[in-house]
Amino acid sequence: MRRREFASFIGPSLLVMVGLLVLPLIRTVQWSFQEVNYGQAGTFIGLSNYTQALGDPRFGRAVFFTLLLTAIVTALILVVGYLVAIGVNGLGKLRPYILGSMLVAYVLPGVVGAVSFSWLFNSNFGGVLNLVIERLTGQELLWFTDTWPNRVMIIAHTVWHLLPFSVLMILAGLQGVPKELREAARIDGANALKMHLWVIIPTMRGIIGFVCLITIMDVLRTFDSLIPLSPQADAIGNESIMFYVFDNAFRDGSQQLGLGSAVNVLSILLILICLFPFIRDLLKEAKAKA
Amino acid sequence: MIPSTATAPATKVVGPAPKRRRRRTNPTAAILLILLAVVMLAPFIWTALSVTKPTDVAFANPPVLSGYTPTLEAFKNLWETTYFAEYLVNTAVVAVISTVVALVLGIPAAYALSRFPGYVSAILLLLALVFRSLPRFAVVLPMYDISRALGIYDTNFALAAALVAINQPFSIWLLRNFFAEIPKELDEAAMIDGCTRWGTLRRIMIPLMRPGILTAGVFVFLFAFQEYLTALVLTDTASKTVPVFITTQLGQTLPMLQQAGAAAMLLTLPVIAISFIAQKYLVAGLSDGSVKG
Repeated sequence: MRRREFASFIGPSLLVMVGLLVLPLIRTVQWSFQEVNYGQAGTFIGLSNYTQALGDPRFGRAVFFTLLLTAIVTALILVVGYLVAIGVNGLGKLRPYILGSMLVAYVLPGVVGAVSFSWLFNSNFGGVLNLVIERLTGQELLWFTDTWPNRVMIIAHTVWHLLPFSVLMILAGLQGVPKELREAARIDGANALKMHLWVIIPTMRGIIGFVCLITIMDVLRTFDSLIPLSPQADAIGNESIMFYVFDNAFRDGSQQLGLGSAVNVLSILLILICLFPFIRDLLKEAKAKA
Repeated sequence: MIPSTATAPATKVVGPAPKRRRRRTNPTAAILLILLAVVMLAPFIWTALSVTKPTDVAFANPPVLSGYTPTLEAFKNLWETTYFAEYLVNTAVVAVISTVVALVLGIPAAYALSRFPGYVSAILLLLALVFRSLPRFAVVLPMYDISRALGIYDTNFALAAALVAINQPFSIWLLRNFFAEIPKELDEAAMIDGCTRWGTLRRIMIPLMRPGILTAGVFVFLFAFQEYLTALVLTDTASKTVPVFITTQLGQTLPMLQQAGAAAMLLTLPVIAISFIAQKYLVAGLSDGSVKG
């Protein structure tokens, strides 16, 4: 393909991405060093926004909660996702129905899923799960105002929402495990558990890594679901980093745009660190192919 | 705990490998999975129940499970007492426009990139990943500022433009993987026959790529249709979308809450319909697209 042709094919898309993704990102970085309000030119204040954020106990709580949520949810998604994928893989006629109903949880708009979940637990709105759990355990849990019950509910919602993705991916990966490999392991006397641990999981390393990565990325930016699920997020220490940004940099009355931008930049750094092993592998692969 | 299904009869196999033996479903695993499917659908079913109850029992505690006449009153209220119809139109218009524009921009770009060696794919995947995982506010807050300065804040146009940009890296990456599967010899043959590059794209590639384009289209449409954060920041009243409307109804009166539930159902039904019709494409996009990447 000639250069000019290439440019005319790529050009429009590139223009949109530079104009609407790259330039806004640059603006965020600029803002993070400024005291600034929407529609006004900011004044440079060096690293004040960063020191303010890092010294803010509320930010510390938000980071702690977000990392905790990410760790728990990712672990659950990988383990449960793997077990479910193995189960679905062994299904006959039932398979499309199970997959279909799982797909519903995945495509359900994020806000809708969270609202529905909150209703399942809310005694003010005739929730059914809180009632069942109350009967079973004999104690009334405050799902929306107590830190840990609220966390359990948020974790349950996040796993519910993200599980189908991991099941579908791992299921696709299972199809790629060579039959000969299984046969060989079987002849060598591997039982089911050993087969999974030493043969199937290592063969699917790539896909499991990818699922892990996407899950981490998705949980790190938890935001939508907290609006219905944790109306008092800040007060009970269940605020996510994104929620902290929203509250400080956008919600009426508290327009600390500089502070919010600094937190955005910090989260970008956090995400790049998480992505680093993956980026390194990809670049290695790229070099090998080049 | 572990449903030992897929590889179940591990101990029995001796001698010649059986000819693609039909899988027999393990009943325990099947029951567990059916239960799981019910659990996955439960929040949706529960909401559907809540919005079809009469308002006075809809949120009663303990929940009323029988002895009422199902009613569509909440939907009627939603339609008559709120601007739901407008919000639904906004949501649909933004989703359709941003999908069409994303494809029109993305298809040529993905095609051009697919005609480059494999490392381009790796770098694209990287960019798509990085942009997918960015904290959304890092691009959306500046967009808010810019849209106010340009006087396009709270318009469908601004929201659609933002969504096109946000979904562009992902769309290109997905499309590029599909294009890469079409052999280059086809391009050459078409060009020897006198097609230009654009002609090749239009006459040869796009017709061949229909499933790939559908897959990317379904994904981008679903993303746009349910986007909450971007719409929350870039819209106010005139171009408010349904997901934003739903959350503004929360914490209000019970009838309003029930309307939120009804709105949630109406937003969800098309999504479920699309995902069932396009299940094949969604699964292909999730598995093929990302795995081969």
